[in-house]
Amino acid sequence: MKIKKIFSDKRDSESRKLVLYLIFPIFIMFVVLLQTINLTVINGKKYETQSENNRIVSRTIYPTRGLIYDTNDKLLVENIASSQLNLVPERSTDTLKKIKAIADLLNLEKSFLLDIYERQIKKPRYPFQPITLAKSLNDEQIALFSVSSEKFKGFSVETGLVRSVVNKKSLAHVLGYMGYSESNDVNKSSNFISGNQIGISGIEKTYHDQLSGKVGTRIEEKDVSGKFVRVLSENNAESGKDLKLSIDLDLQNFLIPFFEGQKGALVALEPKSGLIKALISSPAYDPNIFNSSSSLAEIQSIFSDDEGPLFNRATMGNYPPASTIKPILGLAALDEGIVNWNTIIQDDGEFYVEGDPRPYRGWKEDGHGKVDLEKAIVESSDVYFYSTAYDLTIKRLEPFLNKFGFGAKTNIDAEESNGLVPNEKWKLGYIGEFWFKGDSINLGIGQGYMLSTPIQISQAIAVIANRGEIIKPRLVEEIDQSPTELESLGKINLKDETNWEKIEKSMIEVINAPNGTANNIKDTRYVIAGKTGTAQIKSYEDQEYEDIRENPFFRDHALFVGYAPVPDPELLILVIIENGESGSRVAAPIAKAGFDYYLTKNE
Amino acid sequence: MSRNPLEFSLSSRMIKPNRWLNQDWLVLFLIISLVSFGLMMIYSASGSVEMVLRQGIFAVIGIVFMIYLSFSDYQRLLPIYLNVFWIGIFFLLVVLLIPSDAATRRWIDLGIFGFQPSELMRCVLTISAAAFLSRNPRIVFRDWMIVIGVSFFSFYLVFIQPDLGTAIMVLISGILPVLISGFPVSYQIIGIVIILLSTPFIWMNLLDYQKQRVLTFFDPSSDPLGTGWNIIQSQIAVGSGSLFGKGFFQGTQSQLNFVPESHTDFIFAVVAEEFGLFGVIGLFLVYLLLAFRLVMIAKNSNFLFVKLVAGTFIFLLLTYVAFNTAMVVGILPVVGMPLPFLSQGGTALIINMIMIGIILSFRRTV
Repeated sequence: MKIKKIFSDKRDSESRKLVLYLIFPIFIMFVVLLQTINLTVINGKKYETQSENNRIVSRTIYPTRGLIYDTNDKLLVENIASSQLNLVPERSTDTLKKIKAIADLLNLEKSFLLDIYERQIKKPRYPFQPITLAKSLNDEQIALFSVSSEKFKGFSVETGLVRSVVNKKSLAHVLGYMGYSESNDVNKSSNFISGNQIGISGIEKTYHDQLSGKVGTRIEEKDVSGKFVRVLSENNAESGKDLKLSIDLDLQNFLIPFFEGQKGALVALEPKSGLIKALISSPAYDPNIFNSSSSLAEIQSIFSDDEGPLFNRATMGNYPPASTIKPILGLAALDEGIVNWNTIIQDDGEFYVEGDPRPYRGWKEDGHGKVDLEKAIVESSDVYFYSTAYDLTIKRLEPFLNKFGFGAKTNIDAEESNGLVPNEKWKLGYIGEFWFKGDSINLGIGQGYMLSTPIQISQAIAVIANRGEIIKPRLVEEIDQSPTELESLGKINLKDETNWEKIEKSMIEVINAPNGTANNIKDTRYVIAGKTGTAQIKSYEDQEYEDIRENPFFRDHALFVGYAPVPDPELLILVIIENGESGSRVAAPIAKAGFDYYLTKNE
Repeated sequence: MSRNPLEFSLSSRMIKPNRWLNQDWLVLFLIISLVSFGLMMIYSASGSVEMVLRQGIFAVIGIVFMIYLSFSDYQRLLPIYLNVFWIGIFFLLVVLLIPSDAATRRWIDLGIFGFQPSELMRCVLTISAAAFLSRNPRIVFRDWMIVIGVSFFSFYLVFIQPDLGTAIMVLISGILPVLISGFPVSYQIIGIVIILLSTPFIWMNLLDYQKQRVLTFFDPSSDPLGTGWNIIQSQIAVGSGSLFGKGFFQGTQSQLNFVPESHTDFIFAVVAEEFGLFGVIGLFLVYLLLAFRLVMIAKNSNFLFVKLVAGTFIFLLLTYVAFNTAMVVGILPVVGMPLPFLSQGGTALIINMIMIGIILSFRRTV
């Protein structure tokens, strides 16, 4: 044979080698042949009957989605049984027409069903795996369907589980809702391949992987009459993990009525652990409308609502932090040596930059007189902070604010925005102008281009309570009974560490001193450290505020942030009421109510 | 090393007088038979005339390329062959740089069909490596290292697409010329030891999600649901085919779509179901006969270039056949590997035919 000649030919080592290598695939081909003989000859009969009766069915075993509890083990989200309309596309013909007919019959929205069908059919599916077209069918619909069910081969009404939020609106933004994913990406995860809904927002989205568990499959053999014979292969479903949130439902429900008819947000968290005890965004919506995906009209009305009920203001709303940022800017001025605690600045109500006739006005027309840092925080002197910000300049302001977490995500386990700490480069790029000194001055009172989310402000003020430790805020306390870990994102070191305590003392005086801006919420039982803020949303160069406030949408936002009880704070509360005008009169009392409720509930 | 030292310096092209008679008509016949058979199987599996037509157009393009190249003068083309791998690298970079929302970047969408640069790389890497190694009478060690370096770079480019299966085939297509051309055994052993030793180390240093990714590399698309469904169904298909099969177009398993991907990676299941054990033996014999004829071309040539290109291609051809069929009968895990000349897929078909054409051109000079 010629092959033999190749091996005997000592000179042609390449040919010899290449034939030698070919032994490897040829050996595998030989094993394949043996296996084919095994399948066809030895087990041929078995496979022949198996294929004749076409009795291999694949069943999808849906895991139950994890439940969600509050910190006191009150059930927040559960799965409830519901009747749903299923379709096995392989068994149906003329499917589109039939879906339309069923929609007419059951009085469901045609376009909605077709939309779900078209999305689901494109996704990877086991053969004969059903698609769920509609959930939460009522008795009448079930009856209507069963009467004419033989007309709709492949369609069936079966019992399935639907996500249900127990307290409807009160935790809408925290919990989020379920929906159909837009993506058809196969590689993502088997959890997406189920015809099941996925978490679209909130905890349902952030913790979708943990909550959803793993879809299982069972491949069964059946006999000719369709009776179960045996399981050929099984991938067990893994049920989803239960979550325990740090949210205190009682506190949350107690605080929500304060937001009735108002737009705004509230963050309540435990400063030393970062655990969030209440998170409010107003207005809210009912997640069950999405979860049961029953009515397109209701869903659309939520989407088209101008007030943006879907939008989580507490983590995604971009607000000027206004005066709430003053304690931090005070620390910056101290740390950079611009001022010390004894530095006095004359506040006559207006601040001027040399060579610029334009006044930077403080909120109090006649000014606060001679002001030191403590008085500047207690009375919220704008001129004092105009002056220090002017001296600090953006070069030193920006890094200091960044250290406190402004301008970046807090990494809370929810969707959030970045906020914005402006700098020269940003301004040139986005506004197309150079950085003016006036921009730094505006930054001194948390106005101008600076934007921050309520959760960012809360985290930054918590840094003061924690003496420099930056704690990551989190909503989930336990996953399947195992606690989530406290995460420190770093520590801010001041040149003089006693400044933490001193700045806190100023914040206490904001409430306790008779001239403090939040003196109205003073309490004899416990000590609160806090800061009010009133955020201008429209600059009024030529107009007076009295004219601007004619339009309710241009009225100032009211802010308050504070923690109590000092010296061992258990709770930090931040309140923003959009167009609420006064931090001390509108926002601070809500926080006070929260402190009262939370700190005295065990008494 | 048996090598004509005058390979380049002396243009010793000894074209046999009758170029038509010199053609290896048997190889051409085998290829065209395999492709026609594949078209029949694709039709049987998918029942889609459109799919058959598309594949048929690719087949015709491939055949034209193959026959044209088989009459080409490979020695004159050597300078081109030496540099042709740049084209492959270029397209691999293009596919990585094209923005895409899909998690995997394997295709360049040309509108009518998707072009798979990794398949092209497999072909051009072999040709360039072979041309590079045979450009001087003696191979210096540095030549081998350069080829190994380029091979691993190409491997990496495919690996991050990510597509580990094809990446390994690309690596083989570059490394095999090195091995066949006499890379010292001691170094081969060292290389294997280094790879074996570094594997667990690299594995340990991967993050969890990366490990998961590596694991999913192994079954990119054929079994996205991660169950035994494909395997169970394809085993039933093969087993129920029995000795002589159910007959053309009679394969119920594939007809009823119980075997997923039956027109692409699982087409062997259709062959086995419809033509039985003897059909499988027949198909294997055709592949082996094809391999034998190509080995003979390598054997009859005095040129190292020829031996390297032909040897590597034959090895890859049989390895594809072996891995693909092993996967279908369930003795190897599901990896995305087509059955050469049969599975639906334009790029692989045309590339394979181009390779055959190039190897056939080697017959023209001795």
